Amino acid sequence: MKNTWWKTLTVLLLVFTVVAGMLSEVPRLAILNETIRNLYFHVPMWFGMILILLVSVIYSIRYLRNPTLKNDVVAYEAAKVGILFGVLGIITGMEWAKFTWGEYWSNDPKQNASAIGLLIYFAYLVLRSSFNEQQQRARISAVYNIFAFAALIPLLFILPRLTDSLHPGNGGNPGFNSYDLDNRLRLVFYPAVLGWTLLGIWIVNVKSRLELLRQRLYEHV
Amino acid sequence: MNMFRILALWCFVLCATAGIQPLQAQPAQTESSLTVVAEPEVEMADTLRQDGKIYVVVVVLLTVLGGMIAYLVALDRKVGRLEKQFKDELVNH
Repeated sequence: MKNTWWKTLTVLLLVFTVVAGMLSEVPRLAILNETIRNLYFHVPMWFGMILILLVSVIYSIRYLRNPTLKNDVVAYEAAKVGILFGVLGIITGMEWAKFTWGEYWSNDPKQNASAIGLLIYFAYLVLRSSFNEQQQRARISAVYNIFAFAALIPLLFILPRLTDSLHPGNGGNPGFNSYDLDNRLRLVFYPAVLGWTLLGIWIVNVKSRLELLRQRLYEHV
Repeated sequence: MNMFRILALWCFVLCATAGIQPLQAQPAQTESSLTVVAEPEVEMADTLRQDGKIYVVVVVLLTVLGGMIAYLVALDRKVGRLEKQFKDELVNH
């Protein structure tokens, strides 16, 4: 394997997340109880999704400026992994919500907005698969990807904050205020975000290399 | 590349220490606001941890994580080998 240092870092961070995430002291809060530990596994899915989709949109912009196969492949693979993280985020969120909010889906503004955001990205996959011609597919889906990312940011970070929400940090509260009470959470949370995101980047890395090989093989055979 | 590596490592160390420092400065705050208010009746998995069973969960999670990562590493290696093979063939033909 090439460039193994950040892959080693990924493994270390994830092992730390699991061990410290399960064994470290956490605040004793009613209703949440031990489920507060989901902070290390559910929330990083969303942070990871945003960061990986950011990678995707950067490569889409790069493709529009410099249309190479690599830029297109990385943008596509990153979008797919970002969507995977988002789907995992919504499923883990529903599981957590069932036992703390009482329902899998309580039409919470952030739940609804993230569902819409994911649908926008599903449309990216559908749009992409509807072109036969490679350059047309790459260019149009790159443009759409920029639109999708621009729509996702207000959906996740602005609109839910304008109304009351079950999610912490919404309904007029600034983002992380409820966790500010406790730095023990942050000590595991930030490495967890970094670890899960790097895992996603690693998957993007392997998938892109594989896809590029496949494309080159078609060129040469 | 080497410069980048050192820079990234340094950033990580910086972030890690920045994360640890508030932890050390923290007890006074917790005493007053959190534990006193919330501790008495909130249920936590204390017995689970006393019995040592939480470690079973940690082991299971680590196994799952280890399996996933081993799979990804194997995949990474496979792609790396293919890349090398492909380059060699390009040179030879």
